[in-house]
Amino acid sequence: MSRYFYYHIVLVALLNLMLFVPHILIQYRYHGAMTSMAISVVVGTGLCLMFMSIMSKYPGQGLPEILNRFLPRAVTLPFMVFMAVMWIIGPSIAVVSYAVLINRFINPDTSPILVLVLLCAVCLYAATRPTMTIIFLIEMGLVLNLPLIVFILFKAVRNDAINWDAIHTVANYWTQMPKWNAIGAASYIFTGYANLAVYNRAMPPNVRIRHRWTIPLIGMLVLALTFFVPIGFHGTESVDDYLYVWSMTADSMIMSYGFIERVIFVFLIMYLNLTLIYTASGWHQAIEFLKGLAKDYKPEIDGVPMKKAGMIIGAAIVAATVLYLYFFNEKITFRLSEYWLGFRLVVEIGTVGFLFVLVRKGKTRS
Amino acid sequence: MLNRIGTIMAQAKDLNTHRLQNKERTIELAYISSLCDESKVSDFIIVPFMKEEEDFLTTLIHNPNFTELNDTAKWADTLLRGFVLISAEQRIFTLDAARIIRSETPQTQVETAIMGSQIALSEDLIDSINIIRTRYPSPELAVEETTLGNVSRTRTMLVYDNRRVDPTVLANVRESLRKLDVDFVQAAGQLERLISGRKRGLFPTMLITERPDRITGSLQAGKVVLLLQGSGFALIMPATFFEFMHAVDDEFDSFWMTRFLIILRYGAIILTILLPSLYVAVVSYNPELFRVQLAFSIAGSRSAVPYPSFIEVMIMLFMIESLIEASVRLPKYIGSTATTVGGLILGQAAQQAGLVSSIMIIVTSVVAISNFVVPVNNMSVAIRFLKYPLLVPAIFFGLSGVAVGIFVYLVYLADLRSFGKPYFRILGPTKRHTGDIGQVKPS
Repeated sequence: MSRYFYYHIVLVALLNLMLFVPHILIQYRYHGAMTSMAISVVVGTGLCLMFMSIMSKYPGQGLPEILNRFLPRAVTLPFMVFMAVMWIIGPSIAVVSYAVLINRFINPDTSPILVLVLLCAVCLYAATRPTMTIIFLIEMGLVLNLPLIVFILFKAVRNDAINWDAIHTVANYWTQMPKWNAIGAASYIFTGYANLAVYNRAMPPNVRIRHRWTIPLIGMLVLALTFFVPIGFHGTESVDDYLYVWSMTADSMIMSYGFIERVIFVFLIMYLNLTLIYTASGWHQAIEFLKGLAKDYKPEIDGVPMKKAGMIIGAAIVAATVLYLYFFNEKITFRLSEYWLGFRLVVEIGTVGFLFVLVRKGKTRS
Repeated sequence: MLNRIGTIMAQAKDLNTHRLQNKERTIELAYISSLCDESKVSDFIIVPFMKEEEDFLTTLIHNPNFTELNDTAKWADTLLRGFVLISAEQRIFTLDAARIIRSETPQTQVETAIMGSQIALSEDLIDSINIIRTRYPSPELAVEETTLGNVSRTRTMLVYDNRRVDPTVLANVRESLRKLDVDFVQAAGQLERLISGRKRGLFPTMLITERPDRITGSLQAGKVVLLLQGSGFALIMPATFFEFMHAVDDEFDSFWMTRFLIILRYGAIILTILLPSLYVAVVSYNPELFRVQLAFSIAGSRSAVPYPSFIEVMIMLFMIESLIEASVRLPKYIGSTATTVGGLILGQAAQQAGLVSSIMIIVTSVVAISNFVVPVNNMSVAIRFLKYPLLVPAIFFGLSGVAVGIFVYLVYLADLRSFGKPYFRILGPTKRHTGDIGQVKPS
């Protein structure tokens, strides 16, 4: 069943575009983006493998159950709230920036707030389904969308418009010292493993996740594509001008055959699907964390429709997301994303290290 | 006994009650003549009784055709199923003399295959079991009988392969049949709606088929088959979405052509669901989606149309749905007239009058034709509906609305379970020893 683990890795890795990761990295292109990416491959893979080995010791249990096993509730409750907030912010940034993106590229006449309400309503519906539904949804979403995304990426790499000199020029800055924000952004590619925190509940016992060596490879490939392809298209300097740099890159390509000429429409529709799936999955985890606060909570992964509490929590998340877009613009979203990515890395290193020590000591409370 | 039957049953012309007497004893018999084969009544009861070759009570006790019935409450029930009640020496016996009107071996009509089995299930339960058993000669074949419906008392057979069946599915099926509280069950489709758990589901979670080869195939795959008296269709459960897209021919026609046809079917359902809403989205919101020449020719063909695209789509969809409905309801002899009038004359005239664009005519016919590609009828009907909800987001949000609508369908499909089994899962569990996802119940 290793594929259900890799779905999360691939989904999150592809979603980096929605969280402005390419734009952040490109800002540091002369100031250590290359080294940061190299470090993030090591850090990301290490965290991933450690977390996997910890979670595989507790099949059928999520992070809340494991923490409750070792620590008193007074400690776990605030921690779980904190984790839930971390899990809400990322997907919410993605869906907010997508609503703005739709306003920019597909429906210039529709207000982004209205679009965001539609997207959020749909994600609320999806996020309040049982855990197994989300797992199947991720699987089907990737099976349907991945071929086209690979096609677009392949088209991009093989495109005549790519200026390889620009890529060489940027690659020459590999001696610069790494920067924390760039490491944070680049290591986001690997953060899909963190979804095991809830989805581990569905993992069977004695599962050995095979082909672990592909994790750094997937990460490096995605990082290289996400960073270098826009540079190749737009040149070393002007690539910095675009916030939605990958949408502009997709718009630089045409398909000479068939009904649809501009690649950007295919790209946008595919990424709309991926963003919705990612948001649904992220919010679902946040809701599961918050539901775990109740004393008599019993996790269910299938068949049982989500209780009222889940809907209320989900509605609160949606309201917060919509209010956020009402008050802030995408410049602030970009800054928020940058800080969130950096902070997320700290939290992840802390959490995984803490869990590692906890499990090593193996002192079960009770 | 006869007096009591007179009080239980309403006054009916076809309720026959006789009191017979020979030298030794008197017997009473009661049956409903319209349900019974009267020659059987006379062969088994009246003639031996009058001939008096041996004592009739011994015949009743020893002949396996007669069974003793002790429960008075079951009298009406047995009579109504075509049994004869015989009362001799204060003991009650029954004889099965049911006569069922049936046509000759029925041909497949709903789900046809060129080279597959040409015989369909029969409306009579025993004949259907006969057809299945001859095609599935395995000692493991289990057949359970129950009755469903408080008034209709429809006889229902639960058929499965004892060794291959998934016990949790079987328990699930039995449980949902037990919980069923309804007066009348008449058709397999009705039962499907009653036991599927979702009263207003968008998709069927059980296959309805009349083909014995599909049934035996499913039995072999460990599925449970439900047969209903009086309905020539069987329910197969659990089912996945992808099984509805497979015709039985796919197993025995040329390999590559059938693979190609499967892909074609998926392409067709995507077209039939998406085209109307895409038309609205492209014409009203995002004409820049298509290459310039195509966008111009669409806009040009719409130049005479005086109202927005969604009105146009609604007019044409109304027309095509009426046409399909009419050709189902009409007698076979007039059916072809309706399609000719509707399809050829009306479509052409509507376009020339400038009521709809010619591209819209193409869209409508593609929608209708692609819909008929789905091999299983109940899925075909379900898919026919899916294009309408998609029109709403297309009208208000354009292209992104359509994509969001498709996402909702995906979530809905992923959320469906067929008797506890996932409905929309393209790849099954990979290898048995690795275990499946969601196997352990979280503690």
